[in-house]
Amino acid sequence: MSFLQVEGVGMRFGGLQALDNVTFDVEKGAVLGLIGPNGSGKTTMMNVISGVYKPSAGRVRFADKTIADVPTHNVCKLGIARTFQIVKPFASLTVRENVAVGAMYGREGGKRSTKGSFERSQELLEIVGLARVGDKAASDLTIPDRKRLEVAKALALDPDVLLLDEVMAGLNATEVDEAIDLIRTVNGRGVTLIIVEHLMKAIMSVCTSVVVLAEGRKIAEGLPHVVVQSPEVIKAYLGSRFAERQAQLEEIKREADLARQVEPGAHA
Amino acid sequence: MASTSTVKVLQKVGMGGITGNRYAIYVSCAVLAVLLVVPSLHNGYIENLMRGVLMFATLSLGWNLIGGYTGYVSFGNVVFFGVGATTSAVLWQHFQQQNILLAIVVAAFVAALMALVLGFPILRLKGHYFGIATLGIALATQEIIANIDWLGGGSVTSIRQVDFFSSYYYAMWAICALSLGATWFIARSKFGYALVAIRENEEAAAILGVDATKYKVFAWMISAMMAAAAGAVFAGANGSIDSPTAFAVDNNVFPIVMAILGGVGTVAGPLVGAFVLTAINETLWSRFPEIHTLFFGAVIVIVVLFLPRGILWLFAVRGGFRGFVNSLKAYRV
Repeated sequence: MSFLQVEGVGMRFGGLQALDNVTFDVEKGAVLGLIGPNGSGKTTMMNVISGVYKPSAGRVRFADKTIADVPTHNVCKLGIARTFQIVKPFASLTVRENVAVGAMYGREGGKRSTKGSFERSQELLEIVGLARVGDKAASDLTIPDRKRLEVAKALALDPDVLLLDEVMAGLNATEVDEAIDLIRTVNGRGVTLIIVEHLMKAIMSVCTSVVVLAEGRKIAEGLPHVVVQSPEVIKAYLGSRFAERQAQLEEIKREADLARQVEPGAHA
Repeated sequence: MASTSTVKVLQKVGMGGITGNRYAIYVSCAVLAVLLVVPSLHNGYIENLMRGVLMFATLSLGWNLIGGYTGYVSFGNVVFFGVGATTSAVLWQHFQQQNILLAIVVAAFVAALMALVLGFPILRLKGHYFGIATLGIALATQEIIANIDWLGGGSVTSIRQVDFFSSYYYAMWAICALSLGATWFIARSKFGYALVAIRENEEAAAILGVDATKYKVFAWMISAMMAAAAGAVFAGANGSIDSPTAFAVDNNVFPIVMAILGGVGTVAGPLVGAFVLTAINETLWSRFPEIHTLFFGAVIVIVVLFLPRGILWLFAVRGGFRGFVNSLKAYRV
C-alpha cells in the first residue's frame, strides 16, 4: 500500500468542475510533480490534499485516515504541511515569530516550550536562508524571501509530506537553483514532496514522477522525461495544432533518417 | 526608509513583537502603584474618578484581548459588564450576599459561561458580521434582563453599600492589575501568538495547526471575565443598578476608543488610553458642560486620524516631528 493515496477525487464549485475523478498514489520519499496548464486544478488538488477543501467526490487517504474527516488544523498533526501560492505571512509578526507559530502548534508543538519553538524557528531560518532577516517584520520581505518564509513555516510543522505550491514563481535563475537545492535537502531528510510548478527545469531536475492535469482530469503520469514527450501532454499545453505539427515533424525526421540510411548504399 | 522604520516602530510598541513595550509596562506598573495611595487622600471626587479609570481600563483590556489581539472587533462587550453588575445585584437581592470577592467570582463565571455558549456560533462570523452579532447580543440581553423581575427587571435594584476602607476601590484596582498582568502573560505565551496568528490570517493559522475556534472562544471568555468582574464591583460601588446603567452605551464605546487611543493589540495601551480619555472627558466636561460631547467627538476623530496606532506609537517614533510625519505616511498611504 502506498504512502498517500488520491482516490477518485472530484471537486465542483457551482458550475465549474475543477477536479474530475483524479486518482494517483505517492510513494514514501518521492518527489511528485503536479503539472498542467493554468486552470487545470493543481492548486485545487493541493487544497484538497491539505484539507482546506473537502472534495465533492472521492477521498485522499494518508496514515490510515481520510483527510476530509480531519479538521484543517489537525491535518498538520498527521504530518502534512503546505505552502500557499499566494503567500500568507502574519504581516505584523517578525519572520522568526512567523516560523515559531508553526513550531508551537505543529506536530511536535505540544512538546515544545515557547523558547524551544523560537530555537527551532532559528534553525529553520538558517536552513532556508532567512536568518539574516529574522527580526524583520514579515510584511517587509521581498517576494523570494516571502516564498522562503512559506517553506520555513511549513517545515516548522515537522511534516512527512510537504506540498509546495509554486514556490519558484518570480525567482531569478540563481534563486531557482537555490530553491532546487533546498528541495533536495528537504527530500534528503526523508520528507515526501508534492510540487506544483510551472518551471519545467525544476520539475525535470528534482521530480521522481509527474502527474499531469488538464481541465481537472489526469491526462498522464510517469517519469518526467517520458511524460513531457507524450502527445497528450503537448496537446494540453500547446494546443492540438501544435501537437499535429509536432507529429508531422516527427514523420519528416523519420523519413529523412530512412533516406540517409538508404543513400550510403546507393553511392556504394 | 519607510520599511525599516515600520519594523522598528512595530517592535517597539509591541505590535511586531506582540510582547509589549517594556517601558510602557514599567510606566503602567508605576501608575498602578501610585493609584494604590488614592484612597488615603480622602478625596471622594478623585477616588470616584480613579475608580472609573480603573474600571474603564479593565473593560478596555478585556476588549483588547478579543478586538486587539485576536482581531475580532466586538461591539457588545458591555453585555458582560451588564451581566456582572446584574449578578452582583441578584446575589444581594435574593441571597443576601455582600461579599465582593464572591460577587466577582460568580460574575466572572457566569460571563465566561455566556461567552462560551455564544462564542461557538458567533465567532464563526468574520469582520463586520461578528461586530453586528455582538451588538445584537448586547441589546437583546439588556431587554431580556429588563423584562425578568427576578433579575431586577426594569426597576432600580439597590445594593447595600458596605464600603469600609474603600474596599470597592481596592477591588477595582486588583481587577485592573490582574487584567494587565494576564494580558502581559498572554502576550508572551503560545496562546498569545495563536491569537495574533488568527488576526493576521486565519486560514494560514489553521494550516499551522492553530485551532482557531477554540482559541477565539477562549480569548472571548477571558475578555468576558474581565468585563464581568468590573461590572460586579461597579454595581456594589454604585449602591444600586438598573439595566440602562449596567448596559450604558458609554461602557460599550469608551473601552474601544480607549484601546484605540492607547494602542490596539498592545499590553499597556488600554491603561494609557483610559487615563488620557478620562482626562480629556473630565476637562471638557468641566469647561464646556453644554457642548462637551461635541469636543469629545472631535478629539476622537483627530486621534484616529493622526494616531492610528495609538499613543504608545509616539514613544517609538524617532526623528522628532519629521519622523512622526514619515511614519504617519507609511501607515496612511
